[in-house]
Amino acid sequence: MFKRKTATAPDIDQKAKEAYFTASQGQLILARFRSNRTAMIAAWALIIMILMGLFAPFLSPYDPTIAGRNDQYENGAPQMPKMWDENGFSLRPFIYATERERSMATNFRWVVKENRDERLYMTFFTRDWDYTIFGLDFNVMGHQVDVALIRSNIHLFGVEGGKIHLFGTDASGKDIFGRTLHAIWTSLAVGTLGVMISFVLALVIGGVAGYFGGWLDSVLQMITDAIRTVPQIPLFMAMAAFLPPEWSSEARFFFISIILGLIGWPTLARRIRTHLLTERSQEYVLAAELCGASSSHIIRRHLLPSFTSYIIVDLMISFPYMVRSETALSFIGLGLKDPVNSLGAMMQNVSKADVLLNYQWYFIPVFFFIALVLAFVFVGDGLRDAADPYSDSKK
Amino acid sequence: MLRFALTRAFLAIVTLLTVSLIVFTLMELVPGTCAERYLAFKNTSGSQISLADIEAEKVRLGLDRPFMTRWGSWVYDVVVHGEFGDSCILRLNINQLLADKFWVSLGICLAALILSYAIAVPIGILSSSSNNAVANNSLRFVSYLGLALPNFLLALIIMLISTVYFGDSLTGLFSKEYRDAAWSWAKFGDFLSRAWLPVFILGWSATAFALQTVRALMLDEIGKLYVTAASARGVSGARLLWRYPAKHSLGPVINSLGFDLNRIFNELPIVALILTLTEAGALLFDSLARSNDQQLAGAIIFLLTASIVALNFVTDILLALIDPRVRRGLMG
Repeated sequence: MFKRKTATAPDIDQKAKEAYFTASQGQLILARFRSNRTAMIAAWALIIMILMGLFAPFLSPYDPTIAGRNDQYENGAPQMPKMWDENGFSLRPFIYATERERSMATNFRWVVKENRDERLYMTFFTRDWDYTIFGLDFNVMGHQVDVALIRSNIHLFGVEGGKIHLFGTDASGKDIFGRTLHAIWTSLAVGTLGVMISFVLALVIGGVAGYFGGWLDSVLQMITDAIRTVPQIPLFMAMAAFLPPEWSSEARFFFISIILGLIGWPTLARRIRTHLLTERSQEYVLAAELCGASSSHIIRRHLLPSFTSYIIVDLMISFPYMVRSETALSFIGLGLKDPVNSLGAMMQNVSKADVLLNYQWYFIPVFFFIALVLAFVFVGDGLRDAADPYSDSKK
Repeated sequence: MLRFALTRAFLAIVTLLTVSLIVFTLMELVPGTCAERYLAFKNTSGSQISLADIEAEKVRLGLDRPFMTRWGSWVYDVVVHGEFGDSCILRLNINQLLADKFWVSLGICLAALILSYAIAVPIGILSSSSNNAVANNSLRFVSYLGLALPNFLLALIIMLISTVYFGDSLTGLFSKEYRDAAWSWAKFGDFLSRAWLPVFILGWSATAFALQTVRALMLDEIGKLYVTAASARGVSGARLLWRYPAKHSLGPVINSLGFDLNRIFNELPIVALILTLTEAGALLFDSLARSNDQQLAGAIIFLLTASIVALNFVTDILLALIDPRVRRGLMG
């Protein structure tokens, strides 16, 4: 195929031209990706959200589990730090102290009032609950193994003589800000694990089908198509229903990831197969075969590198579907459950009429979910355009 | 043509058999057998049971036969008698349980599918030919939002607005007076007055997807030489779009209808849960999340998949009738 190559117009100076021709495929993709403004914005948003998830314990002032609950501020509204009010200006941001009251006047319900005369000043790099980042804590044959990259109890901010809840609190007084950040990390982790599992399966099954062809290909295609036809979420539900309710939250987490991976592979496998089918009839494969290279050598050294970039793009595109599936499962109560902070588990609380009318800040995690999926989709789209060598000439 | 149809029919049957094996295996994997459940029920109603009773019950239900034999007889019952057997938990016949609920679900989903393409085809074709960057970018954004904005959130927002402003939460599929009535025109009218909401919500993300597909396919076709040639001959405007590129790009769209239906089925249980519908999606959710009723869940998943396979078969035949290249592709 000879297409017009508009990107190498003669008026571009020699150096740029040279750089263009000697650039590796990765560099070319990166350069094309950078020139796509929407995708770049989405990429930055994505990076920020991933970092927020990674450093969630550092950023959140309170433990997101029941241990960090504020029993004096249940279903509390978000508190925005202020720099000034009618009582004057302050260099340090502050919030107001709150009081709970339940009496005849409030119809015997707990009502929280803020006391505008008493300021609680924000502190930074406060010491509070202990946490680990990249920590693992498990039990091997009776020995407690406990490793972590960072171990600390310093948090970005806190408040003097009280507690601050940027996104408010939920029904049991847990800080929604901290929970949201932790939930982003959990959802990303489940998605990553699921994508990895489905990737390995897709690579093996799609690779075998595409490389060997023949009846093996037909049989594998039949199975792949059959699995693709079954609606995924009902299948997820059916598998997730096996989960014994008494399992620990970690075990649930791994099982859900495995389910996502086991069901998510067919689409990817199909793409890998199609690519291999076209690629394996190329002359360089024939040359390698004539030189006596084994099939596994050809697959590993020649065929796989020829479409690494496409695989990366495909993985990126399938990521939001994984996150969405996890959320859907958790939302209907078959996925991760409350002590684990996943976005789906948090959204479960949203569906109550009481929340809709009175506690709208429960919706904050939903916006993070939408932003996360949108960012993934835009980045995936940008990468797909960038990886297509003809995308310049098409426009 | 006949050979094409027969090949396709054979492939569809093979797919269905594979799916039935998957579904049946899943049903078997659920801890506990039917025999234990029957007897557990008897136990609660007072009579003492022993291990020998369980074994006898297993023999009576045919659970002692090998796995493949039981799968064979399950498939035989489904295909020949259209019979899914009894639900062990509810001790009721599954066909009676599902009956019109499944058809209601299928109707809602198909309506959502039709709605999504009724919107997506004209808008997708128009947007591919327009050069308005703002309109195109916002369209792209809306399409992506269809993926990112969860259906249940949309449902919640609509319910909230309707509760606050109209005093009716719009949940359920029937008004109180028709819920247990037999089907009649009045009931059907009542159903239509309520079913538009699930149809709209299910159609929302389907529309977003369909819009993207139609637009991408149109963009591929619109730059081709035959379109330029046609416009050089003086064909222009809507006539040009409809007669040339649209005709070509709608082929793959018809082909992907089955997968669109698949996607809509995915949303069904969640939407059913939010809107408290009483149809197959809700039944599926109940049977999995609450009662662990594998027979019922298996039957529903199998029926959903079977309708997708059927739709795929119909679209394949349609496409072959329209487009001779498809017929030859498979033969040659």
